[in-house]
Amino acid sequence: MSIEGVYVAGMGLACALGDDLASSVAALARGGVSPTPVAVSQGVQWPVFMLPPQHGSWAERLERTVRSVAAEAGEGAGGRSGPLFVASSSLDIGDMEHEVQDLRLGGDLQDFAGLVARALDWQGPVFTISTACTSALNAVLAACDFIRSGEADEALVIGAELGNRFTVAGFGAMQLLSPDGARPFGAGRNGLVLGEAVAALRLGSRAARWRIAGGSNVVDGRNPSGTEASAVIAMCHEALAQSGLNPHDIDLIKVQAAGSPVNDAIEAEALKQVFSDSLPPLVSLKSLLGHTLGASGAAEFALLVACIEAGAWPSAGYALDGELGIALSTQAPAGLRNILLNVVGFGGGHASLVLEDCSA
Amino acid sequence: MNAGFAIGWRTVAHFSADPLPADWRDRLAQRLGRRLRRVGLWTELAMYGARCCLDAAGEGALPAGARLRVSSMRGAWGATHAGLAQLDAGALMPFTFMQGQPALMLAEVGRCLEWQGDASFALCRDPGQLVRLSRLGVGRAGMLLGVVEEERNGEKPRSEWWRLVPA
Repeated sequence: MSIEGVYVAGMGLACALGDDLASSVAALARGGVSPTPVAVSQGVQWPVFMLPPQHGSWAERLERTVRSVAAEAGEGAGGRSGPLFVASSSLDIGDMEHEVQDLRLGGDLQDFAGLVARALDWQGPVFTISTACTSALNAVLAACDFIRSGEADEALVIGAELGNRFTVAGFGAMQLLSPDGARPFGAGRNGLVLGEAVAALRLGSRAARWRIAGGSNVVDGRNPSGTEASAVIAMCHEALAQSGLNPHDIDLIKVQAAGSPVNDAIEAEALKQVFSDSLPPLVSLKSLLGHTLGASGAAEFALLVACIEAGAWPSAGYALDGELGIALSTQAPAGLRNILLNVVGFGGGHASLVLEDCSA
Repeated sequence: MNAGFAIGWRTVAHFSADPLPADWRDRLAQRLGRRLRRVGLWTELAMYGARCCLDAAGEGALPAGARLRVSSMRGAWGATHAGLAQLDAGALMPFTFMQGQPALMLAEVGRCLEWQGDASFALCRDPGQLVRLSRLGVGRAGMLLGVVEEERNGEKPRSEWWRLVPA
């Protein structure tokens, strides 16, 4: 998708690091927070990066958090009549867990987006985008379609993944979770750690510091639960082509790496193929906020931009796997202009955005 | 939803699995040359309709630049319901969990269309808005658009697909 004139008008984030971007960046600069053990069945528990505890029901917690992050993004400044995209993998399954069996799933998959829209008193069209880990980036690409075509001046993307035992148990059953901690590209990495997050990205046609230069979405069904090297390569090439850029124009890559022994290695190798001998600096955020699944594209987008703007930088805090032949940057690259944000996920989804700092 | 693409679009093929043949799973297995295992009813329904639609369009594979868009109000309802029951019992099974994910459906549909590309699962209460979204940004290779619902509460199963290209 070639994108002209789509800019970031505002951002908001609530995650394990904090209730807003400023507190999240501050916590990140202090070295982060610890995940919380979540029991999924008797004797089985997994660490999860949880939002700070709140009172009220699951739905009340969702509505309150959505209102908070949307307000941080300046929602309402552009009206509420444009398209709203709600990106999530688990949707309202956390609410369903508390229902008796006969009352479960009585509604439909749009109910979750309805809750979000109601929290914001949204008047425009409301879409659900659910493509597992790539949900939020696909929502951004859809919002860009709207704005670039002139069908909307502004769109709001909400990426939301709230606590539920179902997803934790499901990922645990697939043997994808780490029992101790997420170490993307790390030595001895043994799986991912899930995380809760609600993120808001307000996108518009009005020029601003950050421009979405292009993006891509590549689904490859050959490996539904993992990363496919050819799809990573296709995703990067397509995003670069649609942005009118070459590999050497990229100054930073926000990697997918979640701590999987196999998938991290496939991603590292594929990136080296795309960028040959000049692999740009890499940055990873999942050791700090966990893998926030359907929200991750928006959550990591917002957190990374906030880090750059605040002059803070995430540190890995663990030893990297020397066999991968890659490094994570320890500070923001100088002369940072074009950033490639990659998300790879469950179901063979591979999505990428190119973000340009127009002030650079 | 009907596709409602009339202006500026050409419907190359439209397929609706109505009525759904009793032996539809056998037909799908025969067409793909393999018996499906552990992908779940909803995904199988999607694969059957998508493959039939593309065959009706005379295309062995979905062109690389085409988009795949799928919508469903209930999704993999049966697998999700079973998964929650398994969770209650303390043993959520990996394949049950996977079968509830729309992303797995997209992967399997793409695979049965011998295709790698831009696939997404989206929904909206207003079908007109969903059509509006689906057609934005589509290139010359067009798209394959599907609506897939499992049978539930007396409603018939649905797997309805359109192969559309810009006119």
